[in-house]
Order: sequence, then C-alpha cells, then structure tokens
Amino acid sequence: MTAEFVLTDVCHTYGTGLDALDHIALTVEAGQHVAIVGANGSGKSTLLKMLDGLVFCNAGTITAFGHPLTEETLEEPAFRREFRSRVGFVFQDADVQLFCNTAFDELAFGPLQLGLGPDEVRARVAEVAGALRIEKLLDRAPYTLSGGEKKRVAIASVLTMRPQVLLMDEPTNALDPRSQVWLLDVLDQWKRAGRTVVIATHDLSAAAESCDRMIVLSEEHAVVADGAPEDVLAQRDLLLSVNLIHEHAHRHGADRHVHPHAHEHEHV
Amino acid sequence: MIPALAHISDAAPRKRSGPRSLARRTADAIGHAVAEVLENDELASSAGLMQSLDPRIKLVSVLVFSVVASFVHSLPMLLVLIVATMALAAASRVSVASFARKVWSSAGFFGLLLSAPAATAWITPGEILVSLGPLSITAPGLVIATRLIARVAVGAGFGLLVVWTTRWTDLLRALSAMGVSDLVVATLAMTQKQIMSLLRTVENMHLARESRMLSGGTARDNRGWVIERMAFVARRSMKTADDVYDAMLSRGFSGAMPSLVDLHATTRDLAWVIASVAACVLALGVDRMVFPV
Repeated sequence: MTAEFVLTDVCHTYGTGLDALDHIALTVEAGQHVAIVGANGSGKSTLLKMLDGLVFCNAGTITAFGHPLTEETLEEPAFRREFRSRVGFVFQDADVQLFCNTAFDELAFGPLQLGLGPDEVRARVAEVAGALRIEKLLDRAPYTLSGGEKKRVAIASVLTMRPQVLLMDEPTNALDPRSQVWLLDVLDQWKRAGRTVVIATHDLSAAAESCDRMIVLSEEHAVVADGAPEDVLAQRDLLLSVNLIHEHAHRHGADRHVHPHAHEHEHV
Repeated sequence: MIPALAHISDAAPRKRSGPRSLARRTADAIGHAVAEVLENDELASSAGLMQSLDPRIKLVSVLVFSVVASFVHSLPMLLVLIVATMALAAASRVSVASFARKVWSSAGFFGLLLSAPAATAWITPGEILVSLGPLSITAPGLVIATRLIARVAVGAGFGLLVVWTTRWTDLLRALSAMGVSDLVVATLAMTQKQIMSLLRTVENMHLARESRMLSGGTARDNRGWVIERMAFVARRSMKTADDVYDAMLSRGFSGAMPSLVDLHATTRDLAWVIASVAACVLALGVDRMVFPV
C-alpha cells in the first residue's frame, strides 16, 4: 500500500489558546476507509481540515502523496492543482458548501476550477448527477433544496472532481434514515472502486458499517485507539472514557438495568 | 422522586392578551418574506408569456421599455403603458390585482412623495385648482406630478414583471451572459443564499424566544434582545463566510469564477424583440404626433 497522508507528531492550537490536536501521529494508506471517531470538541473536524490543507499544524509535519502539506507548498500552483484534484472534502454543513447559483453550477465549480473544458465538465456533471439521482435538482437554487437534497448535491459537487481521497465530516448528520442508507451505499461503491475515504463522526454504527479502520480521539485531543472497528468497539471502558458511549438505564418490565449506550446524534 | 429539573408548575399558564409579541411579529414577517421568495420561484417557473422568454432578452427589452416610458409626455400614452404592464402580467399568469397592489403601494407611494412638491404653486405656477392655506395645487403642477408618478409606475411595473417572471438563478445567468463579471455574479448568488440562510436563523431565534415567553416583554427588553441577537447574527455571518471560503478553497478556488452559461434565444424571443421595437416606436410616435408637447 502507498501512504497518502503521513502525520508526524502533529499539534494544533486555536488562536484563542485552546488545544485542538495533541501530538497526532498516523498514516492513511491508499484505499483505506478510515473513521475518526470522538466526542464533540475532540478535534475530528480540525484533523479533517488539516488533511484537506485548510488548517495547518503548529508543530509536527504532514505529508500528502509524498509532498509536505503546508501553506507554502499549497501556494505553488502545480501542487495546489494536483492536491485539490486528488482530495475532496464534504463539509458537515451542506449549506456552507453550496455557494453557487444552481446545483448544476455547484457540480461544475470544481472541474471548472481545475481548468477542464466545457464538454468535459458537462459530461462529469451528467455522470455524477445520474449516479446520485439528482438530475431533477440541477436547475434549482441550493437554498430551495431540502436537507437531504443539499447533502446529495454537496457530495456530488465533490465527486465531479473525481478525487482519489474523499474526506467527509459527520456525513450522516441531519440525514433521514433513507438518506443515511443511500450514503452508506455511496461509500460502499467508493470502497469497491479502491478509493480512500476518511470520515469524522461520532455515529459509531455508521463508522463500523462503512469503514475498515477506526481511530479514536480522546477529549484531550489525542489518538487513544487505532485499529479494526470490531476491535475498537470491543473496548467498552475506552469508549466510556472518551465519551463515545455512556451508561444508560433501561427498564424492561419490572427490571431496570444499566448498559453502555452510543451517541448517534449531534448533541447541541 | 421527580427531580427539580422535571418539576411541572402547578400554576395554570397565564393567557396572553393584547397584541402579538415582537418575537411573533418578527418571525411571521421573516417567514412571510422567505415564503414570498420561494413562491416567486414557483411563479417564475410557470408557463407564461414573460417566463418563456430568454432572460437576457427580457432584461434588455424591459430596460428599453422603462427608458422609453421616461420619454413619453402624454398622460393617455402613459396610461396605455400602465395597462400594457398589466396585460403582460395577465399573460404571464401573474395575478393582476396583486401586481397592481405591489406597484402602486411601493412605486406609487414613493412617486407621490417625490412629485408632490412639483404640484404646488411654489414649484409650478399656473391656474390654481385647490388651496389649503398657504399650499396651492396648480393645474400644470398636477399634470407634471401625475406624469412623474405614471412614469415611475410604468418603470416599476416592468421591473416587477422581470423579477416575478424570472427565476433568480436565470437572472444571474443572464447577467453573466451579458458580460457581467463571473465574480460579481457569484457574489450576488452567495449574498442571496446567505440572506435566506440568515433569515431562517433569525426566524428560529424569534420563535425560540416566543416559545419561552409568557408576555410580550417590555420595549426596553425587546430592544436589548434584538441588539444582542443582531450581534450574534453578524458573528455567525462572518463565521459562515469563512467556512464558505474554506469550502471554495477545498474545491480548487483560485480567484476566478468561471461558469457554464447555457442560454439560447428562440424564434419566440425574436418575435418578442420585433414586437417590442414596434411598440416602442409606436408609443413614442403617437406621443409626439397625437399629443404634441
């Protein structure tokens, strides 16, 4: 396998002095499906933005496809173009990602930025819109779409760039059950195509279902587990300590007992 | 034992009396504004005369109509143009009543405000029609004021027809196709989206407040709350702008906003252009020949 991302002793602190990531060391190999799980505020989204070259580390190093990933290297047009064409990022909030006039323009934005010709762009838009069954949405303004439709368009807007690596922040967040199943299908297709996926989530069931590797971030922003989902999920005490599951009382008839319980929805 | 957090007050909730609260009124107004935008998209997508035109041709022709109206002097001809806007509204499946109400409640009102001084003897001397103390309305002054109001109404009518019969997305496409910078067009698109998104946020904030209030609150409290929320919305808007910029960078944004504008004029558009030119020539010709200044 080829290492697509290598993070060595990466630390990040916000401008306000708050720690976001603490001495992170990990490697993402080509074709892996990785879930970064952790409680709210554990640094999952920051780590994902770092992999997309939107946030940079205060200490440590990151390499992407064998090249250092820094503000300076991303200033170089050749590397920026190559990096952006190879890495796609689906934001947690689809509203943030949909900034164009119509859904068609959203899907065309990335390929146009990559300098592709009009025919190629139209072909890519048609192909992805067909695959994601959003042809009827192409002519609509993003603000008129429902939450699930926005998510589909947001994902499609990244897929038209045909990235080698797909980064997704809380992909199942705010999706109804049918859309969640649809999303897991998309991830499965992506896996079969041999592409790399890194998702940040605290939806343990979706992570276990769609990924073959699970990395756990603690509330102290450090990696505390990294392995196969079934092995990580078997570590009940660890998951309790990082606030991914909690003791929950249930009543079954006259009996009342306590067992671990996973967070599957955003706690606002 | 019921924890304090879950304790339900024994006291019956007090009934609200008097006018609706500020929160409710604001939320309703915002909801109405958002619904109006969405309904407008529906109307603009319906099968009407103006909707079937190429947005570029519609935009240019309506601009020309408005300019022509500003050169028309005679009140009868201006009246014909006003009727023409209503006929176009009807042919475009726009409710003529709501169209007329919108035009006259905004353009008519502001036209009246602007032109009222011209009707007085101070600005336009002549035969006095009505005297109210020191204020006298003259016959030529009244004609000038009426002409001004009618021109504003014609311009506003054509403008409203474009807005109501063209989807915002098509309007931006037309601007792009007409040579307006893609960056400007993209900024307009983002602004519209951001306004809609923030309107929803503000509506929800007001509804959340309403749901926890038993009275309308004092004017002072309401002012303080609104100011504090405005600051929140401003902060949120800035955060969203940063996030949107990150999303653009992530998809390779490098400063330019190329787009694929796909608009095609048809024979219907050609017929419209010919009819528009003929109407403009006719309006100006009749105005000059039948009603010379």
